[in-house]
Amino acid sequence: MSTADKIEQGKMAVIESITPSELSLHLMEMGFLPGKRISLLQRAPLKDPLAFKLENTVIALRKSEANLINVKLEN
Amino acid sequence: MPEVLTPETPTQQSTFTVALIGNPNVGKTTIFNSLTGLRQKVGNYPGVTVDKRFANIKLGKQEATILDLPGTYSIYPNSEDEVIVHRVLNGLDKENKPDFVLAVVDMSSMERGLFLVTQIMDLGLPMAIVLNMEDSAEEQGIKVKTHALYKSLGVPIIQSNARSNKGINGISELIEKKMFEKPQPFLNIQELLPESLSIAIQEKFHLKNTYQAYQLIRFHENEPLLDEGQREWLENQMDSSGFNIKQIQLDETQHRYEGIQTVLDKAVEKTDLGRKRLTDKLDSIFLHKIGGYAIFLGILLVIFQSVFAWSAVPMDLIDGFFASLSSSIAKLLPAGVLTNLITEGIIPGIGGVVIFIPQIALLFAFLGILEDTGYMSRVVFLMDRIMRPFGLNGKSVVPLISGIACAIPGIMATRNIGNWKDRLITIMVTPLMSCSARLPVYVILIGIAVPESYIGPFNLQAIALLGMYLLGIVAVLFTSWILKLILNFKEKSYLMVEMPLYRLPRWKDVLITMYSKSKTFVFAAGKVILTISVILWVLASYGPSSAREEAIANIEVPSNDAPQEVQDDYQSQLASAELESSYIGIMGKFIEPAIKPLGYDWKIGIALITSFAAREVFVSTIATLYSVGTDVEDELTIQQKLESEIKPETGEKVFNLATAFSLIVFYAFAMQCMSTLAVVYRETKGWKWPIIQTVYMTALAYVSAWVVYQILS
Ligand SMILES: Nc1nc2c(ncn2[C@@H]2O[C@H](COP(=O)(O)OP(=O)(O)O)[C@@H](O)[C@H]2O)c(=O)[nH]1
Ligand SMILES: [Mg+2]
Repeated sequence: MSTADKIEQGKMAVIESITPSELSLHLMEMGFLPGKRISLLQRAPLKDPLAFKLENTVIALRKSEANLINVKLEN
Repeated sequence: MPEVLTPETPTQQSTFTVALIGNPNVGKTTIFNSLTGLRQKVGNYPGVTVDKRFANIKLGKQEATILDLPGTYSIYPNSEDEVIVHRVLNGLDKENKPDFVLAVVDMSSMERGLFLVTQIMDLGLPMAIVLNMEDSAEEQGIKVKTHALYKSLGVPIIQSNARSNKGINGISELIEKKMFEKPQPFLNIQELLPESLSIAIQEKFHLKNTYQAYQLIRFHENEPLLDEGQREWLENQMDSSGFNIKQIQLDETQHRYEGIQTVLDKAVEKTDLGRKRLTDKLDSIFLHKIGGYAIFLGILLVIFQSVFAWSAVPMDLIDGFFASLSSSIAKLLPAGVLTNLITEGIIPGIGGVVIFIPQIALLFAFLGILEDTGYMSRVVFLMDRIMRPFGLNGKSVVPLISGIACAIPGIMATRNIGNWKDRLITIMVTPLMSCSARLPVYVILIGIAVPESYIGPFNLQAIALLGMYLLGIVAVLFTSWILKLILNFKEKSYLMVEMPLYRLPRWKDVLITMYSKSKTFVFAAGKVILTISVILWVLASYGPSSAREEAIANIEVPSNDAPQEVQDDYQSQLASAELESSYIGIMGKFIEPAIKPLGYDWKIGIALITSFAAREVFVSTIATLYSVGTDVEDELTIQQKLESEIKPETGEKVFNLATAFSLIVFYAFAMQCMSTLAVVYRETKGWKWPIIQTVYMTALAYVSAWVVYQILS
């Protein structure tokens, strides 16, 4: 198991769970739910924030927030 | 008694209210504009529809009020912006109780759109759904079977492409015929809420169903219609049944998405076209490690270069026009007080307003384009990491950039920053950005202090202007860094931003923005400026008669056959003695000791006094002050007049390099805008922060101006 901030650019991963925190509800409302596939589209030039593709939309998260998303990396 | 939870009061009147609700950037404002014909700014980054906007339209015999609400992802608010939606939906906003809801969904991102839609369904409001962005869904290989969707949701559905006006007629027909339907609750709340708890709550508060009981629990903390006793009762009930609200919220979210997935499996067909989206390709350029910042900086430079250079020609024309208008009217009308008021008070006052239209229009055009294309949210992405050490946030960049135009929309745009500390810091520093009202002051003073030569392709004056904007940014960063150290809030900072597709700007909307912003400026700022100009002229033309006589008595009257120079000299001595002994001269003199160390004389002191209401008044004040008593017939423009102004005692120029720069710096930092203070008061809900802000900014202005003057003189 890994977390979303460790996905390599252009690679996909499947969300397994969201670490409970103040932000978990907000993350889930935005559509980060167990079972969803996400990919890392872009890393901001200073390595943070990260832009994830989720379904048809692109959402930027900070590293610390992406770290709350537990994922299974795909090859 | 929480009657607020049953907002569906039936309306018999022929007027009714329809609220447009949806995620950010799904086309609500575009639809609103097409429906109401009232064209306004349409933005592309989350949060541009900061305040609710509404319009009354006639549909057949009835009248409907359409409300355009800020974008939100959920009816449970995470930011101040979303609180507005929450209040309207739950009928807490007395003036804006919607009878119907028109939920707008981006067809290419249905899942998240339906998340909000199904929450509204559970509230039990009569509603209809607009599936907008048909075109971009098609491009991405997404097809929706509307009928299947209708069958599972039980709500009327219309497809549209608001950008090319397709489907708008259908929408207005739907509104006219009130074809909204009251849906069944989407979520089976019984699964989440223990039955005994639900029944107890329903009985106590006379509620109709489980969902309302659940809503009451979820909102009980900020539910104004509950008294302390009721709130406590609720909390006790929840405790005793072992109900964990946080967990239930997560469960609700998950359940809801699962339910939506089932619906979408039946109603949506996706074909992977295997194309790389153009937006992704563009992002690899605009978000590039080095290139991304270079482009951003380049864009800013182009903006300033053009604001300065392109507007020079029309500004010269306007300036010349008003100068010659004054002198020809002076020739036409008989000499007298009224003529003087017109040629020395009113016309220069109006000219002082009109002259800045070219720049303001250009600046707003550029900002409009940046928003409309979707580039603004890329700026948030690029800048977040850089802003963080200063206690700011990528989202602070949008208010700060808007602050280049005007601090007021900037401060209002902070509402989409979910975190209070980040938001407060952004509010406190936004007025330090160089707003368009400072531009007039900069332009005039830079024109005096900086030679008009070129370094390579760049105009030295344009570079100086860019320097002033950079100085504003430095002040912003410095101040927010200090605030970050001082303010002590526990809340964690976060960033979650959707990056929309790149789109071509709609030139018509850009033009409309230019026009409406300039109009607002002329009428809003213009009124203040014109009033102050006239008051100033009166104060500058009259004074206590004893002081006046005393001042004049000391001047030697030349004999009639004295040479022309002596006559002229007498005239100008007389004029300046009269101004000095006028009411305004007395006020300026009074504060002169305090501003002398900054290099200012009492005339500049007068300008400082009048600019406290609004800083753009500086130019018209100066124009009035220096044309009072000078012969209008020599058509000197404001800038030339200032340049030729000399100190009577020493014969030096009043606006030498040191004074001009000291003054520029003072205007860069001082809090001189009543309207900004009013907005800060509103957004921070009290006088504490606006007062701190005023004291801080004025002190910063004074000290910096003093340092600049001491170094340069
Ligand atoms: N391709 C396409 N773009 C649209 C459509 N409707 C709106 N837009 C664009 O989407 C962007 C956001 O629209 P806006 O009305 O501001 O969305 P709001 O945030 O929901 O108010 C603008 O650039 C619009 O021109 C549509 O049907 N198709
Ligand atoms: Mg909008």
